[in-house]
Amino acid sequence: MSKPTNAPKKTLAQKLNQENIAGYIFILPFIIGFLAFLALPMLMSFGFSFTRYNILESPTFIGIQNYIEMFTNDAKFLKSFGVTLYYAFFSVPLRLIMALLVAMLLVKSTKLSGFYRAVYYLPSIIGSSVAVAILWKRMWASDGVINALLNAIGIPCDLAWLGRQDTAIWTLIILAVWQFGSSMLIFLSGLKQIPVSLYESATVDGANGIQRFFKITLPMLTPTIFFNLINQLINGFMAFTQSYIITQGKPRDSTLFYTVYMYQNSFTYNKLGYGCALAWFMTLFVALLTLILFKTQNKWVYYESER
Amino acid sequence: MKRKVMALSMAAVMAASLTACGGASSTSTTAASGDSSTSTTAASGDTTTAAASGDQVNLKICWWGNQIRNDVTKKAVDLYMSQNPNVKIDIEFTDWSGYWDKLSAMAAGGNLPDIIQMDYSYLNQYQKSSQLADLTPYLEDGTIDHSKIPDSIIESGSIDGKCYALSLGSNAPVMVYDKAITDEAGVTIPEQPTIEELYEIGNTIYEKTEVKTYYDGGINMMQIVARGNGSHLFDEIAANTVDSLAKHFAYVEQFNTAEAAISPDLLAEKNPDLVETKPIIDSTTWNDFSFSNQFVSIVNAAGRDLAVCMYPQAEDATTQPMYLKPSQFFSIAETSQNKEEAAKFLNWFTNDVDCNKILLGERGVPVNTEVAEAIKGDLDANTQLVFDYVTSVGEIATPIDAPDPAGKGEIEALGKTKVEDLRYGDGTAEEIATSFLAEANKILTEAAQ
Repeated sequence: MSKPTNAPKKTLAQKLNQENIAGYIFILPFIIGFLAFLALPMLMSFGFSFTRYNILESPTFIGIQNYIEMFTNDAKFLKSFGVTLYYAFFSVPLRLIMALLVAMLLVKSTKLSGFYRAVYYLPSIIGSSVAVAILWKRMWASDGVINALLNAIGIPCDLAWLGRQDTAIWTLIILAVWQFGSSMLIFLSGLKQIPVSLYESATVDGANGIQRFFKITLPMLTPTIFFNLINQLINGFMAFTQSYIITQGKPRDSTLFYTVYMYQNSFTYNKLGYGCALAWFMTLFVALLTLILFKTQNKWVYYESER
Repeated sequence: MKRKVMALSMAAVMAASLTACGGASSTSTTAASGDSSTSTTAASGDTTTAAASGDQVNLKICWWGNQIRNDVTKKAVDLYMSQNPNVKIDIEFTDWSGYWDKLSAMAAGGNLPDIIQMDYSYLNQYQKSSQLADLTPYLEDGTIDHSKIPDSIIESGSIDGKCYALSLGSNAPVMVYDKAITDEAGVTIPEQPTIEELYEIGNTIYEKTEVKTYYDGGINMMQIVARGNGSHLFDEIAANTVDSLAKHFAYVEQFNTAEAAISPDLLAEKNPDLVETKPIIDSTTWNDFSFSNQFVSIVNAAGRDLAVCMYPQAEDATTQPMYLKPSQFFSIAETSQNKEEAAKFLNWFTNDVDCNKILLGERGVPVNTEVAEAIKGDLDANTQLVFDYVTSVGEIATPIDAPDPAGKGEIEALGKTKVEDLRYGDGTAEEIATSFLAEANKILTEAAQ
């Protein structure tokens, strides 16, 4: 609707009736929540990262000493960062592969496909809960169900999976892979958007299943893969419960996630200033990683709309 | 392009939530009383009833503990609320390590609970930063009756002549063992074994029954070894003296290389920090180390009878290392709006016989000597055993170390790391002792700043 240029001044009611005002009011709860519970704490933690702050007394400004300490004098910082990188770089691709495989199986509509989708989605809802963490701990115990199953199929095994430095982290990675549900759902919707005509013409041209997957499905799915990758990578770096509940970083810090170390510093050792500095390093690292991924997407992500 | 911007901003938000995320997933339960809800319903119908019972007061109590403590304390709180309908008490409990994380976060937010369960090792730190209310006025005006409580108990919670924490019971370090297994192996555990004896006994037991021995590498054992040398752990760390530490780590190494001792893999998996997962519970080991007031819950978790003896000491110890420790305190937060009411609750908790008949010495032998006498008949065999044990330690005990300095939590964690390093063969006992000392000294210096 076009309005006359010299219209009379609007009343308050008219102003409020404008569409964008209504929009702002609708998102106001989110904005308030974002400012109060995200933006403000972030700013504060940035400030705290330049202080020595034991929580109980007021903080003392010490410049960038926390950051210097981190890089020059803290072996555990490097260790936990390494563990987290290891965890993320194995669990994320494995989880995505798993999600894609299951999504391919479930993409055909059958009577039970709704049921199966729900069942496979379930772990990603409950997977990071404390209850599952405790269940996991019991399963991988030396007298747990995993060893019992191995024994039952004729592989004698009494390994303390969670007690060995080489296996403990992998129990956590497997737990992460098991939670493939949310990526799977996104893959499912991505798969359904690929035009059937592409497959039909490929079949006419004599392409087999493997060729169809690599020449059609995978390229058409790259935007979905890209989204899932970034999403899951960030999740991977933020993982906390698994390490905190199942292993407490044991044995010998081989499962000490970065977030757990940050938490220990902040609340167990009462070095909140240092904890904040750790948090900011990880934030910057993840931001940088995301940026690099975005820069590379021209090379491998195919957007149909841009052609 | 729009899609890219969208995805980028979403990613930024997700990354942002990383720093803001600090929520602990520690297990905690908040229980509200059934009584108060009924009394409020009554009040809405008849206002005079509410007025007669005085103004509604809300108190909040936090403690760390195990299942038994949680059950009995909740029952005691319910009894208090039924006797004082105008008081509504919210309770919250967690396990030991989660508790201090939570408490420091609460202190940072200025919303500490009115009544805080406090430990000897954290008392200094919380008092120094003025988080705790001075209880002396309440002791003087009789709000908290201390006529039946020994002065030494009041002193154990006092700093510079002012009382900040009321001890709830006495406690002593203890070695727990499975008598069925030692009997089967045909060995007797002395009342206070030496560490060398423990090693021999462990070998015999392993030969006869294949049950493993646990040797504690934790900070409590470090303190015991240092005390046996006539010094104190934190004094030695501050003075950069390696004597007791070298000795301690040599013992840990000796047990670690013995086939009779529990392997580091299994130990990491079992997690002796929690009562429910201690390796003695499922008979992986025949012994464990703890404090006397934990004994009943260890027995409960194990589901079979266990016995106690004193912490083992070094063969060449020159000083008796055993000591009595206030098991825990109740403190009142400086920020509390209802200090007077909180003090009344503390008085009831320590001096009321009915209350202590519910608690039954779970927090250690009651500090009120008359109460301790009055509940004696109600104790079960295991609690009685603990009471007798604490009495026998009391006869030989030397004074406890001074309250731990700031940085203790981090040094304790460092100790665990170093013991793990040693157990997994990453250095000799001597090397580990030296590096532990250097790092612990640094932590201590920094924490004192």
